[in-house]
Amino acid sequence: MQLAMDSERLQRELEAIFGPRRVSLRAVDLETYSRDMWPRLLLGYREGERPATRPHAVVWPEHVREVVAVVKLAREHRIPIVPYGGGSGVCGGAVPLYGGITVDTKRMQQLRAVNGEELLCDVEAGLSGERFERELARRGYTFGHFPSSIYCSTVGGWLATRAAGQLSTKYGKVEDRCAGLTVVTGRGEVIETDGPSRALRGPSWTQLVLGSEGTLGVITSARLRLAPAPQLRVFRGFEVDDVATGVTAIRRVLQKGLRPAVVRLYDELDSLMSSLGRHDVEPERAVVGPTPPVETGALPAWPGPPPEEPDGVVARLIGLAKGKHLRTGAMHAALGQSQLVNRLVGAVAEKITRRGCRLIIGLEGARIRTEVEAALTFHELEAAGARDRGEDPGWAWLRHRYAVSYRMSPMFRDGAFVDTMEVASSWERLMDLYHSVRGAIGRHALVMAHFSHAYADGCSIYFTFAGTADDAAAAERLYDTIWHDGLEATTRVGGTISHHHGVGLLKAPYMAAEHREAMALFEAAKTALDPDGILNPGKLGLVRRRG
Amino acid sequence: VTLERELIDSVGAQHVEALDALNWRVAPGSAPEVAEVIRRARAYKAAVHPFGAGGRPSRIADDRARVHIATRRLDQVLQLDEMSLLVHAQAGLTGLELERILGPRNLSIGDYPPVVLTSSLGGIIAVRTPGKSSARHGFFEDAVVGVSAVLADGRSVHTRIVPRRSTGPDLARALCGSEGTIGFITSAVLRIHVRPESRLVAAYQLPSIDAAINAVYLALREEAAPSGLRIYDAEEARLHYDGLALPAGHALLCAGTAGPTDLATCDRDLITSAVIAEGGAAGDPALAELWWRRLHAGEPTPGPQPTLQVMATPSKLRAVYHAIVDATEALGGVARAHISRFDADGAVMFFTLERDGRIADGEILSAVERAAQAVGGWLLGARAHRLDAYLRALRDALDPDRIMNPGTLA
Repeated sequence: MQLAMDSERLQRELEAIFGPRRVSLRAVDLETYSRDMWPRLLLGYREGERPATRPHAVVWPEHVREVVAVVKLAREHRIPIVPYGGGSGVCGGAVPLYGGITVDTKRMQQLRAVNGEELLCDVEAGLSGERFERELARRGYTFGHFPSSIYCSTVGGWLATRAAGQLSTKYGKVEDRCAGLTVVTGRGEVIETDGPSRALRGPSWTQLVLGSEGTLGVITSARLRLAPAPQLRVFRGFEVDDVATGVTAIRRVLQKGLRPAVVRLYDELDSLMSSLGRHDVEPERAVVGPTPPVETGALPAWPGPPPEEPDGVVARLIGLAKGKHLRTGAMHAALGQSQLVNRLVGAVAEKITRRGCRLIIGLEGARIRTEVEAALTFHELEAAGARDRGEDPGWAWLRHRYAVSYRMSPMFRDGAFVDTMEVASSWERLMDLYHSVRGAIGRHALVMAHFSHAYADGCSIYFTFAGTADDAAAAERLYDTIWHDGLEATTRVGGTISHHHGVGLLKAPYMAAEHREAMALFEAAKTALDPDGILNPGKLGLVRRRG
Repeated sequence: VTLERELIDSVGAQHVEALDALNWRVAPGSAPEVAEVIRRARAYKAAVHPFGAGGRPSRIADDRARVHIATRRLDQVLQLDEMSLLVHAQAGLTGLELERILGPRNLSIGDYPPVVLTSSLGGIIAVRTPGKSSARHGFFEDAVVGVSAVLADGRSVHTRIVPRRSTGPDLARALCGSEGTIGFITSAVLRIHVRPESRLVAAYQLPSIDAAINAVYLALREEAAPSGLRIYDAEEARLHYDGLALPAGHALLCAGTAGPTDLATCDRDLITSAVIAEGGAAGDPALAELWWRRLHAGEPTPGPQPTLQVMATPSKLRAVYHAIVDATEALGGVARAHISRFDADGAVMFFTLERDGRIADGEILSAVERAAQAVGGWLLGARAHRLDAYLRALRDALDPDRIMNPGTLA
């Protein structure tokens, strides 16, 4: 896309704001910032294809006034602005569809204040999740947000996508823990949403900007709610006969008013994968770096075992597809016959495990209440037909909880692809959602699922699917078909197309079906906050404007 | 054809009342009727003003036609999903009416302050104030899973009913708190609760207001989730409890807990421990039982309505309380207060200010407002004017003729 100014002038004007060291028009930077971790882009990348679009420049602001200046510059010249955090998004939200200026927030990384009495902190958007949580832990607090991307995502990215962490059942998603935002709007103005309380009259601007993925403003800092660091953690593994029994058991716990931090129910295939991974036994070798005892809940120094020795779910998926010593071709054969494999694997999984589905449950928090809640939770699960398998499976999950997401590379390296689809619905529709989406994806790819992020009124389902095709173009077609069929099935049964990964480019075509007439409210917010349409254009199904 | 004729065509003559030549009160019986009324009002550029159980249409003396839309006939439960604990109820239903429907099914909208019971749902959702939160369930607007509303152009919008989502902004939140300026809320889907297995109440006496506030936050930090909390200063306690004589400066704390019996007991014990840690002791349980009956069983509370409602965050509550007491006394008045609606953002202080045996006048009110604001308190119903330009732009985009509740949030 052609800009209204040549690159030399663009560089000159940007350097006037940022100085020469925090502006780049170098090809290597532009290519780096041309994508995020959307798996579809990796398909072409694997084949050596060049990115279809690149930013015209990348900048690294250190202060909100620099963000204001660059947005004003962009507005004056109708240049797109694409906010960029850790680049860990999996929906293409940070792809510069029309070029423009990519604003990397990672140099705005101060934890500016922690107010223990109010249980609030003031944090800049570019701080990495890992550093944020470590800083809070040192002070005796937690934000309670532990996405599997915590090592490579930023606070701003979480807020921009309404992210969820693994302990969301207790702490909520980020939108539940945000007391206010500082945002640079598309008009080049700084606004403070809400704060000091949600008591102020008028619509909640915080809740309007959260999840807008950079289309309404650039989030530069936030006031986030904290919790005291947990005094006690209790983790346990259970088994249930089947998915439906497990779903009922979880629902009973949540609707009793109990709030475990983690609830994860694996379907038969996912349970089989977990058991193949032997995650319920102690590892025999040391992982990289010093690792604190798992009971402390502290972030491991490293997300999991080194990539050369894969043991995540995805790697086990490869192992299953390949057989122990089969060649890569066997994996392609298996994934190419996904319907058959799904049926076979389902039956095999049931026979092998003979124990149905695995359920991991964990509680943490203040000592006395956690003890009481744990006893009530375990009692309720057993009353619902779940069988207690002791603490080891629970601690094993906690120990390996970050390993999975860093294990996709081997799958792509071997010519296949893998992705995850996280949908959600009310309890009443949840089993419909499970069967519909599993059926829709299963026509094209190997698919398994677990239920996590449970609430009193419903739950999320996290589908993992793997497929293969002869070449990049065919793989992209297959990938698109899987998403189309999966999301259409989701909408049809009343689920939401995304629980916590966001929309980006991937789900933009499905936003109209998700929100229907209510998209008018989103469009109106866009008009109010970004009248020229310069902020992250082409995303989230918004109508393209002039920018 | 006149607007009145069109309104009659939309909802029937028996549901249209002419207040004067330019003001009509209409009572649609369904969301499509609301949409029809708004479409027809828009054609005349007539203003549309919603009003619920607590509202009265006010004739505004200008030359603009105005349609005051009552929600009273929108009083149906559209769907009850007992498996997901969700109820889809129309905007005109009051909390109390909804509670009567849910009760026989062992369900409840939850332990919210009485204002939630006496107002119509549309009003509760459309107006954001801190008086609607619960230490047990959180902010009332967090209980709103989805909203159906009619926009200025007559379009009906329905936000998707799912527990959480990551599909752009929470569009329901554009409507919550918008006071009818973004859309006319016709119904909402709310999270509801199973009635608790046990309810416990307890009363405590503490050596000071500060100690009582400290005890509350100590217990909340230990994750107690009480169904209700109220702190009285000594003067307020004397008035509310038939001459109860607390030593000067002392405070009465009433607390309710609910849930599975073990959890309700645990929460009560956590509160008791916090009270003891702050130098307090258990008081007469009958006081707590009376407090609870007044809150939820309709027993009258003695004394006049509070003069002033002030909100403060947890760390500012003590300073704001003392600033108001001191400012009142400096002008020869007397202040007494109770504090309730505790949540993560703070609590609401309900002050009664008197001078010479009469409710305080404007001089004292102005002085205590300034004193409260100087130490970080703010009055209930305050607005953040700094975002008005964006709100105007949002309204312009949806309602260029400014028919939706003009004059509100302006």
